[in-house]
Amino acid sequence: MLNANSPLASGPSYSFATPPNQTSTNIKQHSFNPYTDNGGSTLGITGDDFAILAGDTRSTSGYNINTRYAPKVFKIGEDDGTGESAHIVLSVVGFAADGNALKERLNAIVKMYRYQHGKPMSVKACAQRLSTILYGKRFFPYYVHAILGGLDEEGKGALYSYDPVGSYEREQCRAAGAAASLIMPFLDNQVNFKNQYIPGSGEGHALEARKATPLPRAEVEQLVRDAFTSAVERHIEVGDGLQMLVVTKNGIEEIYDPLKKD
Amino acid sequence: MPGFDFSHHNRNAALHAQGVPLPKATSTGTTIVGCIFDGGVVIAADTRATSGPIVADKNCEKLHYIAPQIWCAGAGTAADTEFTTAIISSNLELHSLSTGRKPRVVTCMTMLKQHLFRYQGHIGAYLVVAGVDPTGVGLYTVHAHGSTDKLPYVTMGSGSLAAMSVFETQWKPKMTKDEAVKLASDAIQAGIFNDLGSGSNVDVCVITPEKTTLLRNYIKPNQREQKQRSYLFKRGTTAVLKEKVITREEISKYVTVQELPSDDDVVVVEKMDIDA
Amino acid sequence: MNSLVAQYSRPAFRNEGFSEREQDEFSQITPPLSLRFAMPPIANPSSFLRAVTDDHSNPNCPIKLAHGTTTLAFRFQGGIIVATDSRASAGDWIASQTVKKVIEINNCLLGTMAGGAADCQYWLAYLGMQCRLHELRHKRRISVAAASKILSNLVYSYKGMGLSMGTMCAGVTPQEGPALYYIDSDGTRLAGNLFCVGSGQTFAYGVLDAEYHYDLSEEDALELGRRSILAATHRDAFSGGFINLYHVKEDGWVKHGFNDTNPIFWKTKLEKGEFSNVTSELV
Repeated sequence: MLNANSPLASGPSYSFATPPNQTSTNIKQHSFNPYTDNGGSTLGITGDDFAILAGDTRSTSGYNINTRYAPKVFKIGEDDGTGESAHIVLSVVGFAADGNALKERLNAIVKMYRYQHGKPMSVKACAQRLSTILYGKRFFPYYVHAILGGLDEEGKGALYSYDPVGSYEREQCRAAGAAASLIMPFLDNQVNFKNQYIPGSGEGHALEARKATPLPRAEVEQLVRDAFTSAVERHIEVGDGLQMLVVTKNGIEEIYDPLKKD
Repeated sequence: MPGFDFSHHNRNAALHAQGVPLPKATSTGTTIVGCIFDGGVVIAADTRATSGPIVADKNCEKLHYIAPQIWCAGAGTAADTEFTTAIISSNLELHSLSTGRKPRVVTCMTMLKQHLFRYQGHIGAYLVVAGVDPTGVGLYTVHAHGSTDKLPYVTMGSGSLAAMSVFETQWKPKMTKDEAVKLASDAIQAGIFNDLGSGSNVDVCVITPEKTTLLRNYIKPNQREQKQRSYLFKRGTTAVLKEKVITREEISKYVTVQELPSDDDVVVVEKMDIDA
Repeated sequence: MNSLVAQYSRPAFRNEGFSEREQDEFSQITPPLSLRFAMPPIANPSSFLRAVTDDHSNPNCPIKLAHGTTTLAFRFQGGIIVATDSRASAGDWIASQTVKKVIEINNCLLGTMAGGAADCQYWLAYLGMQCRLHELRHKRRISVAAASKILSNLVYSYKGMGLSMGTMCAGVTPQEGPALYYIDSDGTRLAGNLFCVGSGQTFAYGVLDAEYHYDLSEEDALELGRRSILAATHRDAFSGGFINLYHVKEDGWVKHGFNDTNPIFWKTKLEKGEFSNVTSELV
């Protein structure tokens, strides 16, 4: 038995012939949910003459896998038309649509800079510009954690990490995304040698802390692989593939390794 | 008094109302399946246990013993599936002792649904019950609120849709045992690879009128490769502020100390699988 | 009716691609001086922003911004001491232990960072630009009073929109001498001799108030700044990392290191006998 007041019993209460009794500017706001978390993790480490940015290639929503290959690490400023090769890399993790929009925007700006100034944008300048781009959406943030990598003016590896609204800092290493809390402590210990002391260098408080020194590239690549295979073991949103972009003075090298798919 | 202790319920409800988050239970995000074949029934499960997005156990057991010829696959809150099956297992044993008959799968399913219905879904156990008894082969699903189904092939847990798609395309009546085991493990693998809540290995349990075979880690499609580096620290890497040696005389005040035959002997109480 | 038709017959592709504003961004050589912020297309942007970024009112908010701090600055006979910790936390996660919370606006002006890291970084950099423009226009350096007022007027214009900053401006100019101002995102602007800002401010005030004199020697003043931050990093979970120390003098500021708190703590404990509540004795 239908209720007499229900729309089904009394027919539709709207018609194209009669205008709506509510003005369309006064629509009831239900809720505004513009963000989705697409999971995944990224990480960057620098050495003396290189920078590595890496990310897994899984994209998730809830318990589902959207795709097993969605890159999170991008070359910035590459142009097939002019043959201009990129020397900056960007990784974005969080909400993939925002990440993609951010990548496109930075890419366009870095290219325009090249055309207007006749020289490539320095990593330092690009880092500052990315910060202002993110801050430009302070009141409607990009839901992303970005990491920017490249080589600085002296040819040394440079890495900048960002919060969603553009606060940034140059660092030796940084993990971001779903498994950041699993990877970052490992990096603190293995890259910056946090909580490691030199055996036999003293007794009690005189024991000397192990100083952080830039690591060679082969070693850093091993650390990146181990960080990701470990994250895959313990985080359900990380897996499928590992994409690494290595920036050296000879250009950007891309490495892809498969990861576990469960 | 047996049963649940509700003495902290009011306090916890008040804390929760003030915004204190409830502690997170380990849930088996899980794919579990079961299907009958000509002369028996097979159930299978993945082995991943999760707590939110974190893998809590990479190789847990989700196939639970109820009676020699009745086994149960559990999804939902890990502790609830564990204890519910244990309670029913013990009651069923008492029941079969007092009646002098072999326990039946319907009996087990009825006891489970009555137990779960009484707690109105607060016991988060989602089960697949399977077995062979004097009346024949039985395969049921039991939901946390107490509803049940009797079907030739069933799936449950977060990977149930992935697993069901395999059954719906490949299941046929009167399969052989080997065909059924292959189909069930393929269904679990669909869950392992397509559902984030499921992962690691495939456990299978085959029940025929003659015997029950538990195939623990029947397929291991997700073995971790060798790590690239060794992470052994040199002795002395950790800062030590103070050392104190507790002598055997002191510690024996609190625990029983047993002598080892020699210093080189290592006594393994329980073996644990660890990564290299 | 016509208005209705107009409302629904808008070409669907109107909002596709880059807007005019975004196209400007690519063709302009420098980013615009006055920011035009992107806003969410809803009636009440600030409550949306609070729902997605404020982990105090919503612990499950999706975007966690960097917060938490202890910063201090005080005036004394030899100038101004500015000291900060270096920890940034996002919810219960330590986002960084190496944040530079003293922002060098120019060689005579310093700003400190508490609250939202991006807000402080961005607006203090903006203040630096405005100060330089003032110099070019007026052929003399801006006073600390004027600089701090640019900042306070600026944040006041964004009041209620969700900016979060508690900052101090410290500097010397010929007309003012050493000057210290506190500015926060509510719009407060105060001149004073001594301020502590951030989640660890109470712990820092405890030490600073007890030992502070205007006539402190330079060495003692630096030590007091360091000791106050140490006290805050010891008791406040959201403060820690490194102690960043600056001394603002007549001819500009001087940096006095960026040092790990852990060895400083043990040195203070073992050499001066302080922190006697902490013990490495085994029971």
